[in-house]
Amino acid sequence: MNQASRVYRWDLDKTYLRTDFDSLRGLLRAALEKATAKVNVAGSAALLRELQAAEGARVCIVSGSPRQMRRTLEEKLRLDGIEFDELVLKPNVQNLIRGRFRAVRDQVGYKLPALLDGRMRVPAFARETLFGDDAEADAFVYSLYADLIAGKVPVSTLAEILEHCGLYDDDQARILDLAVRVPRGAPAVGRIFIHLDAYTPPARFAPYGVRVVPIYNYFQAAVLLFADGHFGPASVVRIAAELSQGYGYSLLSLANSFQDLVRRGLAGAQDISALRLAFEAPDAMIEALKPAGGVIETFLQRISMVAGTKGPKAAEAAIDYLGIVRAEGPPRKWRSGGRRRKAASGPF
Amino acid sequence: MRRMHRPTLAIDAMGGDFAPDEIVRGAGRLSLETDLDVVLVGDEPRLSSLLARSRHNPERLAVHHAAQSIGMGEDPRQVLSLRPDASITVAARLLAQGRADALITAGNTGACVLACASELRLLPGVRRAALAAVFPTERRRGAKEDPFSLILDVGASLDAEGPDLVSFAVMGAAYARAISRNVAPRVALLSTGAEPGKGPPAVVEAHRVLRDMPGMDFIGNIEGLDIPRGAADVVVTSGFVGNVALKMLEGVSETVLGLARYAYKERLMWRVGLTMLSGGIRQLKRITDWEQYGGAPILGFDKVVIKAHGRSREQAIVNAGKVAAKTVAAGVIDAIASRAAPPARLAEG
Repeated sequence: MNQASRVYRWDLDKTYLRTDFDSLRGLLRAALEKATAKVNVAGSAALLRELQAAEGARVCIVSGSPRQMRRTLEEKLRLDGIEFDELVLKPNVQNLIRGRFRAVRDQVGYKLPALLDGRMRVPAFARETLFGDDAEADAFVYSLYADLIAGKVPVSTLAEILEHCGLYDDDQARILDLAVRVPRGAPAVGRIFIHLDAYTPPARFAPYGVRVVPIYNYFQAAVLLFADGHFGPASVVRIAAELSQGYGYSLLSLANSFQDLVRRGLAGAQDISALRLAFEAPDAMIEALKPAGGVIETFLQRISMVAGTKGPKAAEAAIDYLGIVRAEGPPRKWRSGGRRRKAASGPF
Repeated sequence: MRRMHRPTLAIDAMGGDFAPDEIVRGAGRLSLETDLDVVLVGDEPRLSSLLARSRHNPERLAVHHAAQSIGMGEDPRQVLSLRPDASITVAARLLAQGRADALITAGNTGACVLACASELRLLPGVRRAALAAVFPTERRRGAKEDPFSLILDVGASLDAEGPDLVSFAVMGAAYARAISRNVAPRVALLSTGAEPGKGPPAVVEAHRVLRDMPGMDFIGNIEGLDIPRGAADVVVTSGFVGNVALKMLEGVSETVLGLARYAYKERLMWRVGLTMLSGGIRQLKRITDWEQYGGAPILGFDKVVIKAHGRSREQAIVNAGKVAAKTVAAGVIDAIASRAAPPARLAEG
């Protein structure tokens, strides 16, 4: 067992990489394209580089991409300067060959055991931060994992939840076995970041409590991780610089993103004060961010526009996983809530 | 000179029959579907709560808190001074400060005009602002084959004197040149007959000035029935008359569709016939549906102000945003300023 004190678990598609799963063409392209052709979600590589740089950090990737893509994905991560500790991919070709079609789309039966298995390879004191997206069931799976290792979900309840998820019997048995064996203790998962790839309204994630943090971009994640002490202000600046130089983010769009955090009660004026030190340091990278000067002033102006900073949210009740799967159906059938059906209409 | 940066729209989130819910949804769509920056002005906690439940892109959408608002039925002259932090006033202030390029409101028209009058400046030579609405006609005009005519004023103020009507004509013509790419828009005064002496004194006086105005394709007076025929590209009238005329046109359109709906339900044969015509009906509906126009510019101020219909829902706000962006990009204010000043002064003199 390694001595990692901080574990960062990442999904890949729509979280780290921009992937189009919504069309067959997009699916084929994702499977066939070379590492050099793969495109990152803006700022994801910069954020992961900053996270892995800390002492005792462990980067674990659990992706729904098929195992056949391992070489390409490893190459892509290498090109981005990411040194991962684990890369778990989905045995989808085997699923197809064995006729396990439900498993092709299922995330619970694949990701939950992968996460539990990974947890057994890190010390009990290791704190975790998880990164997923709004395309499928990441918020559900990650929250369930976090509550399992915190001892908040009894195995009997887990069995009932899995029953409603429509898993194959062997997947269910494997998860229950791992859930019995995994060390339980104080809450180990800090934040669960959900990248809103489809702009799903953040309120959709309210049933998962304050631990799940929907984010629109990785500048928002960087500000919160900085506030949590995962890295220093210079890291935030480097991530902002990559968003600005590599992805066309303007100072205004970053300031707006910050205001969004303030409005949702996730950040406040104190975070601006802390960032001030970084943004005012003489550094070529920072200079690139502020061609017109006044970076902090722009942020402060955006904060002054809101009615007032919100206090921290009160502790919440336990997550009702059974209620969620009863209401929404099996997670493998979930899709991001952004798309709307075309309304049926007559000639009027 | 045209602005090169991405336009920022200040949207009065608290104005309109369906505010703030529909306004927030419309603003959210603008943030997702366009490259515009949006500032929603209104009760921030309430707007934040609505945004949390709406699809939007916060990188392009900010909220500016305004603690007060003005209702659709309130008398703006009475309440505006008592509510300095009303959302429409705060939005106009952002515009005046250069923190936004255009203002959009679906709220109380009087409050909008008064708030803009207190925060913005009228262009040189313009004595009154005018609300300019578009309406569909038989004719196509300009490089874009635009089916719409412009009618102003439709309610920024009730009365208009001769010089006001002249400045409305100049502003309307400049707007039509910039937005419809109509090089020489035909301008007419709305009156009770084609003869120059017909109509109230203000119309007669304006007719005399416009007839001799260089660079103005003034075709004289037209009557109400000429409006939908498209006899003029720009129809000039006082706010009271213009508002009555516009609402009647809207009412006729809604009534026709209402009758068609009734027929659709009443008999199978009629339903079959209307279903066969459905493509054409949809096209007609699209042209006559005020939600598609997006909003009416309030011309005369030194900034772009778009008044959306009080009943605006999400789609109308999206279209109002697009109209605002187009108006900013086309440099309409500069175009009006360059043409409004000399003739209007001439009219006053």
